[in-house]
Amino acid sequence: MAQVRLSGIAKTFGKVTALDAMDLVIDDGELVCLLGPSGSGKSTLLRIIGGFEMPSEGTIAIDGVDVTDLPPEQRPTAMVFQSHALWSHMTVFGNVAFGLKLRHLPKAEIRDRVERVLDLVGLSGYGARLPSQLSGGQQQRVALARSLVIEPKILLLDEPFASLDQHLRERLRDEVRDIQQRLGITAVFVTHGQDEALAISDRIVVLADGRMQQVGRPGEIYAEPKTAFVAGFIGAMNMLDGTLADGEILASGLRLPAEGSGLARLAIRPEDISLTEPEEGRTMTVRRMIDFGAHVVIDGKLADGTHLRIQTDKAIRVSQGEQIGICVESWTVFTDGDEPRRYRSDTVRSFRGARYA
Amino acid sequence: MVTVSHPRAEGGRLSGLLLVALPVVLLIWLVLWPVLQAFVGTLYFPGKGFSAASYVYFFSDAYSLRNLWLTLWVTALTSALRVAFAMPIAIYLRFRKGSIAAFVQSLALFPMFVPSVLVAYAFIRVLGPNGIIDTLLVAVHLPKLPSPYLAPAGPIIGLVWEGLPLTLLLLLSGLGRVSTASVEAARDLGAKGWTIFTRIILPRIQSSIIVALAFNVLGLFSAFTLPYLLGPASPEMMGPYMQRTFSDNADPLNATTQAVITFAFCAAFGVIYVRAIAKGRKGPA
Ligand SMILES: Nc1ncnc2c1ncn2[C@@H]1O[C@H](COP(=O)(O)OP(=O)(O)OP(=O)(O)O)[C@@H](O)[C@H]1O
Ligand SMILES: [Mg+2]
Repeated sequence: MAQVRLSGIAKTFGKVTALDAMDLVIDDGELVCLLGPSGSGKSTLLRIIGGFEMPSEGTIAIDGVDVTDLPPEQRPTAMVFQSHALWSHMTVFGNVAFGLKLRHLPKAEIRDRVERVLDLVGLSGYGARLPSQLSGGQQQRVALARSLVIEPKILLLDEPFASLDQHLRERLRDEVRDIQQRLGITAVFVTHGQDEALAISDRIVVLADGRMQQVGRPGEIYAEPKTAFVAGFIGAMNMLDGTLADGEILASGLRLPAEGSGLARLAIRPEDISLTEPEEGRTMTVRRMIDFGAHVVIDGKLADGTHLRIQTDKAIRVSQGEQIGICVESWTVFTDGDEPRRYRSDTVRSFRGARYA
Repeated sequence: MVTVSHPRAEGGRLSGLLLVALPVVLLIWLVLWPVLQAFVGTLYFPGKGFSAASYVYFFSDAYSLRNLWLTLWVTALTSALRVAFAMPIAIYLRFRKGSIAAFVQSLALFPMFVPSVLVAYAFIRVLGPNGIIDTLLVAVHLPKLPSPYLAPAGPIIGLVWEGLPLTLLLLLSGLGRVSTASVEAARDLGAKGWTIFTRIILPRIQSSIIVALAFNVLGLFSAFTLPYLLGPASPEMMGPYMQRTFSDNADPLNATTQAVITFAFCAAFGVIYVRAIAKGRKGPA
């Protein structure tokens, strides 16, 4: 229902720069995740969209209307806070009805809309309870219902499920995604869990130190990280320091083809490494094998002691201390100030047959 | 395992008892015992038997009743004013940060460090007859205002000023339990300042307000210095009245009776205070 346009948004708290020169367009009906480590400015950006913080620079427009100077109550946004934001002296009904009562709607309509939204979040029949009589997950559902009931155009969620356990978090985030798609509203979801972001977003905005590192679809961010930071932050990644010379990168005794010269970082996904016969510049000592059931992760040491993780077939078996050969199928080289370069090896020699248990 | 946990629980109970033992002993020795003594002393006279004559006298003497009434309404009004003045400051301090807030806070807590006698004399210099205010008014050719000095307003102004810091601290501790997010959530849904205050903040700090009021009432009911130095001579508040009955009139029986009656009123507020605390303990505010 609404498009958000951020232009040149910056925010400083005294001497701390929380956000720097942010340009972003969030499309109608899109769910965008703000993803980044603690202190990267996710909450600050969300609060600026919601009107709880004024940007030091830049403008925000919603559906083409400049809302930069409007307070939260005059924006078509609704925020779901991380925790402790329910009013413990009011019942669930009272909490959800609050926004409607402020709008002086007739009693019957309030009752009707509250019941419908409680039904939507799976809490019909809980209206008379106090928040303290609900589980953590149910409390966050009430918070969600309270925001949804006023039919906002844009739903803002600041790590809404961070205090819940993994299972519940997964279930609730899927529900949020469902509801958001069913209602067709625009949503901005703050999280520092990459799996959460990958699972529900249309697009992910990766933040670090108040700067946008990359904006893109989940698959894109995973497959083609633009900076070494994004590469290391999204998904499991082996990050090695190395030097470029003579069409090769040398990192921790590992040699791979790459262009350029000077210092660089080599990024390899664990699933992009396969096992092969040991060979000069391509060996690793097994430290540990972790069996996840669906796949196996081998934690090993390169020549200089650097750790390297390999994710491979569940049927592969290796033993501790064993020397194994590795074959890197694709890798990315990051150099300062340059676009990352991606490489694929076309000579994937399979050694799997010999290793099956 | 079971045998280990038993002595440990025992030890916990013992140290718990020790913790409360000292205050309880002091309470009995310094408060309850003298009160009981005073109470019995005003009702039972060795050799003459029981007599409630001093109470009958107090409650039929127009002057005593006027003093009691004055004390009651001055106490009520002063407590209410203290909370009313402290509340906006407390809310400001709770939801604003920065150097101005720090300055406001130190300014608001300042009266705590000023002795009552100084307050009284500063008051007389500023608001008393021919004080600074009068001098300024005369300087710009305006008529003098009726001075609150030696009127009920005198002690009220002084007492409000003196009691503001403690009230402020009590309210601040209550507001500490109101999360910023819960206020922002209300704002997000369209609530304005007054609605947020009455619907979100007030219900959560109720127990703190009751505690603040009860604390104030206890202190004010028997306030002496400011009512004595700034208040009217007749009627007078219970504090000065007791003191005068005791030493000027050399009438310990009636002074004690007044003290017992004062204590009874304070005890009633004490009960309210304890209840509020117990209620605040039960659920998160
Ligand atoms: N009110 C404030 N006053 C001063 N500095 C602030 C304030 N709010 C945020 N900051 C600073 O701005 C930076 C970004 O904070 P922000 O809360 O947006 O991070 P975040 O990405 O949400 O982190 P988290 O994952 O821990 O919630 C941090 O360095 C923080 O210290
Ligand atoms: Mg945050």
